[in-house]
Amino acid sequence: MTGTVARIEKKNPLGAITGFFKGVVTDFIEGDIFVKLSALVMGAGYFRRKQIIKGIIVTLFQAVIILFAGGFGRHYLSRIGTLGSVEYAPVFNFETMKNEINDYDHSFQILLFGVVSIIVLAVAFMFYLRNIRNVRALELRAKSGLHIHTFLDDVRSAKDERFHITLLTFPCLGIVLFTIVPLIIMITVAFTNYDQLHMPPASLFTWVGLENFKALFSNNIASSFGYAFGKVLSWTLIWAFAATFSNFFLGIMLASFINNAKTKLKRVWRTGFIVSIAVPQFVTLLIVRNFFARQGIANTLAADIGLTSFLQNIGLSPAHLDFIPFLTDPNWAKVMVILINIWIGIPFTMLIATGVLMNIPKELYESAKIDGASPFKQYIYITMPYMLFVTAPFMITQVVHNINNFNVIYLLTQDIYTTTDQALAAVNAKEIDLLVTWLHRLTQEQYDYKMASVIGIMVFVVCAVFTLIAFNLVIGRNKEDKFQL
Amino acid sequence: MRKYKELQIMSLTLRHLFLLLLVLVWLAPIVWLVFNAFSEFPGLNIRKFFPDSYTLENFRVLLFDTSDTVARFPVWFANTLKIAIFSCIVASSFVLMVSYAMSRMRFHGRRSLMSIGVILGLFPGFLAMIAVYFILRTFGLTNNHWGLVLIYSGSSGLGYLIAKGFFDTISETLSESARIDGATEMQVFWFIIIPLSKPIIVYTVISAFLAPWMDFMFASIILNSGIATDWTVAIGLYRMLDRSFINTHFARFCAGGLLISIPISVLFVIMQKFYVEGITGGAVKG
Repeated sequence: MTGTVARIEKKNPLGAITGFFKGVVTDFIEGDIFVKLSALVMGAGYFRRKQIIKGIIVTLFQAVIILFAGGFGRHYLSRIGTLGSVEYAPVFNFETMKNEINDYDHSFQILLFGVVSIIVLAVAFMFYLRNIRNVRALELRAKSGLHIHTFLDDVRSAKDERFHITLLTFPCLGIVLFTIVPLIIMITVAFTNYDQLHMPPASLFTWVGLENFKALFSNNIASSFGYAFGKVLSWTLIWAFAATFSNFFLGIMLASFINNAKTKLKRVWRTGFIVSIAVPQFVTLLIVRNFFARQGIANTLAADIGLTSFLQNIGLSPAHLDFIPFLTDPNWAKVMVILINIWIGIPFTMLIATGVLMNIPKELYESAKIDGASPFKQYIYITMPYMLFVTAPFMITQVVHNINNFNVIYLLTQDIYTTTDQALAAVNAKEIDLLVTWLHRLTQEQYDYKMASVIGIMVFVVCAVFTLIAFNLVIGRNKEDKFQL
Repeated sequence: MRKYKELQIMSLTLRHLFLLLLVLVWLAPIVWLVFNAFSEFPGLNIRKFFPDSYTLENFRVLLFDTSDTVARFPVWFANTLKIAIFSCIVASSFVLMVSYAMSRMRFHGRRSLMSIGVILGLFPGFLAMIAVYFILRTFGLTNNHWGLVLIYSGSSGLGYLIAKGFFDTISETLSESARIDGATEMQVFWFIIIPLSKPIIVYTVISAFLAPWMDFMFASIILNSGIATDWTVAIGLYRMLDRSFINTHFARFCAGGLLISIPISVLFVIMQKFYVEGITGGAVKG
């Protein structure tokens, strides 16, 4: 049973596509004159079957697309190869005796509307092919004397068997406009020289092929991107795993510690931890950042109890400073952001873990007890594996979330942390940066969109590789029956 | 025997002392925020944990004093409320629509759509944001609250997984019997599934409503004009801690943080309750 399901799901997508095109061709050849006419005027087949309204709508759609392709589409698609050639320049107009701006090319608009045109035309073309198949199907229905849907029938079916189309149209349109199109554009920007020196409208940018990717992996006098990328990437990975696993293990420990029968007032303790979630994260992060500032309260307290001088004596804090550089020294800052992230994350993990812990079958513990397992062994061999099994997909998404965890790093270190590493500073990176905060700085402060796009693509590659490996490791081994009694 | 009992009491006391210590660590910054909100000293008190003297002045200035050009809290609150309400309406309907279609209906391409959703989730959200910014600018929608509404709600359909999980648990026999009685799919959606889904609807609505209050990154990119009356609460509070303002505005920042924490935490507690119900309650109903 499961075998057939798997086989159906592993249908070859390439086969499905070629099948579709073959179907279009045979439908066109075998169809009557109105099917063939539909290839010219899309509504023809519907008019023949008296689906007047549908015919008009489809034909109007065709007219709009042709106008679009001839005007808007042609204008931008003809320039997309070069991304524009007429540079922005003031021109003196002798009639008005004033300086005016010439009819310049705006590279980004050409890229944006070019990509939009390609997508619109591609969708319209698929719709056009689909239309031939629909018309042919309609002809076959008519020939075998079946009921031809009226327009009202179509409206009714939008509420019933095609209700999913009604539901999904607007959300999908939103996703296309606000995620897919922007992503395609940013991916294409990675192959251009769009940066501070090539900023529309003042100047043009153009295609440079794989130059930016080469720059990201090269380390020489001209560019230290290779060096910085290696450093930032490794810290991003360390951070993502440290942040995820510290929250996971400590959160479960805390949850089971509170859940323990010996602990009184369970609710009070839980509430104590949850209060910190209720304050918005950016407020707590900014508060904590000032707490640990150079002249912050933490430093005053540390100096008062002699912690500062103690740390200096054992060499953990620089001796030339009279404070502990909590968020300004590379090593201190890295440890601190992980600790602060534990502070932020544990209440969440505790909430989730409490729910899961209560669901662990009590029989598992009872039989372990009979076999003489200590509480520690029960934790290692029952609680942990069970939690891992239940929360593994959540953990994987959590690692991806942490790779992109902008808020913690940005709000804790922005404007405070400065790097002393010249090679990093040259490409506007810092030791504490994640790929995503580096990307943010490159765009918001340096306008280096080309390298930001390359880094964005790298983030995707890292996340995708990790997700694929992790899911295969977790789901590949079928452990489902292990915990079912 | 007595010795054993003493040992047990010791371990119990230690256990609770340890928890007390942890809770203190977790509460310290929050307590610090609350006390500083009432502090008479306007800047960052670096000598003592607790302020020397207390006042309600910070709240008065924040809420009623329009002469403070840095802190325009009532305006920020109104802006954020407007953005939150509109993006909440669009985003919650999108999420419920997508999750119903993905959970209760079977159609060609459903699985591929879901895989596309997973793949899109692997791109850093900020990457798309850069292009979205330029697109919105082309249409004059930057430094505009409607642009921000579009950003919060536009792609919200991707966050359908939790609601889908809930719809999955509602028994198929309910909709099946309604269909036998002649109900269309839309009627099943409106009259059978939606009334049964109160927990997940409340959860979806509140989490969509809260997003604009918590978001700093997207708002700071779209509302970058530097005009204080355009900002949302998050950007406004962040700017109050600029190096040039922190010595006059830290206490007001704490007051503002405290003020928005109250409604947010109330909503959050409600949401948590409904979230747990949403995860566990659906199965019981079947």
